[in-house]
Amino acid sequence: MRRSWRVVTMLSIFLAVTAATFVFAKAGYAQEAGTAAQDGSSSIPWWLWPFILFAFTFVIGIIAPLSGVGGGVLLVPLSTAFLPFSIDFIRGAGLVMALTSALSSAPQFIRKGLANIRVMAPLVCVSMITSIIGGVVGLWITNAFPTGKYYITMALGAVLLVIFVVMLTSKRVEFPEVDKQDKMSASLGLAGSWYEPTLDKVMSYRITRLPVGIIFFAVVGFIAGMFGLGAGSANVPVLNLIMGAPIKVAVATSMTVITVNDAAAAWIYLSQGAVIPLIVVPSVIGITIGARIGAKLAVKAKPAFVKYLVMAIMLLAAVLNIVKGMRGLEIF
Amino acid sequence: MNDQRKVEVDPLNISFARAMEVVTWAGIAILLVFGLIYMFGAPSFVDMQQAVEHWHEPAGDFWESVSDTSVQGYGWFLTRLTKMDAISMVGICVLGLAPLAAILAALARSLRSRAYLLIFLVLTLEFLFAIVRPLIMGGGGE
Repeated sequence: MRRSWRVVTMLSIFLAVTAATFVFAKAGYAQEAGTAAQDGSSSIPWWLWPFILFAFTFVIGIIAPLSGVGGGVLLVPLSTAFLPFSIDFIRGAGLVMALTSALSSAPQFIRKGLANIRVMAPLVCVSMITSIIGGVVGLWITNAFPTGKYYITMALGAVLLVIFVVMLTSKRVEFPEVDKQDKMSASLGLAGSWYEPTLDKVMSYRITRLPVGIIFFAVVGFIAGMFGLGAGSANVPVLNLIMGAPIKVAVATSMTVITVNDAAAAWIYLSQGAVIPLIVVPSVIGITIGARIGAKLAVKAKPAFVKYLVMAIMLLAAVLNIVKGMRGLEIF
Repeated sequence: MNDQRKVEVDPLNISFARAMEVVTWAGIAILLVFGLIYMFGAPSFVDMQQAVEHWHEPAGDFWESVSDTSVQGYGWFLTRLTKMDAISMVGICVLGLAPLAAILAALARSLRSRAYLLIFLVLTLEFLFAIVRPLIMGGGGE
């Protein structure tokens, strides 16, 4: 059974990578003065796009549960460069995709003891409020101070870079040691256990510094709401480095946070017609299959591998945010 | 599974996961079944060829071009439920409701803990607000 899973996974990855390579080779059109992407014309027949989207999202579906991000951080910049859809539809599809990948993997993580709703609930409770406030303030800032969002985007990139360096130099990222819980975490029973296959034993953990974690989640929620930035990449380091969750627990719990945040955001995209089935259906098929494989791999993966994957995503998100901010300010 | 590998997961977490899984599969099934029927040429709100011709336009312009409709709120697809692509959109709504169902399941499990009861109640209200927010405040922020 395990062997057949491995064969299916390898075959699927091979097919997806082949298709993606084909697309990127063909999609040089998008780079050709950006004209095709602008006017929608393409040398690729329209019926091929669903297959391309499937391959593209399948790969992202495998990576997302392994790293605790929704997938938008990978999909949006790559799609903007290579696919002919309007940014509205890319963001709409990215959000539905991230939501589906989180919804498909979170129940598996919870059953294994990796994701903990008791940890997620108080954090999301606060971050949802601040994200709504951020949305209102964001509208005001966009009107009053149009370039402000680019400075914040660059600042977020810089913060992610700092977190990347902290994770790189921190010794206890995989299994942080929590000697003492704060009062609030202890009274809410923020602890759990999971079976770690790489060590062949059940590992226990305790969460601490919940009030500090809540403050960080409030800030992340505010920024995410203000500028529509994905927050998945910021959840993991807060849970891991500040609140003492082992890296795999942090990644899995981050997926449950994403289910709530992205579902709440999905209603905005639906209300604005930024979601069309022709783009969303193949993406959801790809992400659903990919995320189920990714979730199984995440349970079995070595904590050190998960750590490096999270760090790679963090570095990518940091660079993309800094570049995006600099481009917005026309620095280059 | 031997005892060494046995993990006790608290019932609140299990209820949350079960509710989320059921609603997620329902949403994915509606989205995919009706989406695929639409892609195989069944009656639709948006013609596929037209969609391809205009999918590079911003969402507002796209809907004006393909259906002469100004899109705001949820009525644009909820009033066209005889069309396969509109039914497929309902699947996304169901996916959007999956965490709410999970939160309600967890709420039912946490009646003995005042702290969690309060937290899940607040989360429920916040989520309901997120659903009606686009109708009240438009689409600002996320």
